[in-house]
Amino acid sequence: MVPTEYYIALSAIIFTIGALGVLTRRSAIMIFLSVELMLNAANLALVAYARHWSIAGAAVALSGQAAVFIILAIAAAEVAVGLGILVAIFRYRNSSDVDSLAGIKL
Amino acid sequence: MIVGAVGVITLKQPVHAALSLVGTLLTLATIYVGLEAHFLASIQVIVYAGAIMVLFLFVIMLLNIQQDPGPGAFTWLRPLAYTLAGLVGIALIMAVTSDPRPLPDAAVIQNTMDGGSPDAIGTALFSEFVLAFQLVGVLLLTGIIGAVSLVERKAASQAPEASSPQEERPLETVGS
Repeated sequence: MVPTEYYIALSAIIFTIGALGVLTRRSAIMIFLSVELMLNAANLALVAYARHWSIAGAAVALSGQAAVFIILAIAAAEVAVGLGILVAIFRYRNSSDVDSLAGIKL
Repeated sequence: MIVGAVGVITLKQPVHAALSLVGTLLTLATIYVGLEAHFLASIQVIVYAGAIMVLFLFVIMLLNIQQDPGPGAFTWLRPLAYTLAGLVGIALIMAVTSDPRPLPDAAVIQNTMDGGSPDAIGTALFSEFVLAFQLVGVLLLTGIIGAVSLVERKAASQAPEASSPQEERPLETVGS
């Protein structure tokens, strides 16, 4: 079986790529895509560690997979609200460039 | 999978980047199968590669975003971002590979994980994580209300403009 470290290293690479995307892209929708990438990297790490800790019993090991399930639901809610905000901003500004929102006040 | 992830952040067209992310997520689903998480793999395909990405593609096509604007005001930050991301990535990989622990036996894994079946995950969700499960329900409800209210306010503010030309049109007979 493939050792856990390989999966975690892959997860770290994907997370780094996602973080790089958040830092370098300017379109809000591309930043959203990169955030999805980072969430999935975290999920991969959780699933890999869940398998790693299967010696501790089903309750401990499957809590990792249950956490991934919850993260999936949170990601779905986040995407729905985030894209709603994005559409609202786009209607006002006609641009998805996050730098054009520099003067926004909460 | 790494190729797909790089494609997400390098491709200029948002549609191409989103499709690249779909490929990445599907690859991740196959990795989940290899990690004894069959239920999560199917959920990944249905929820992520299905629902969430359809939402993304729908919004991209709705807004008709053609191209990323490219580097603008903060060009000097870009090399800093690459350096920082590279350093963080190297540090993460070093941190997780510096102390390798052996995996338990394959038989133990098979027994405990039970293939990551919905049965086992449901037991964990409704025993240990029942509070988190309820909170996720509340969060989803809040998300629905938030998304609907965001769109609803715009619809209400645009309604007078949209309805005025319709009133000037004479009624047409339907059928005949």
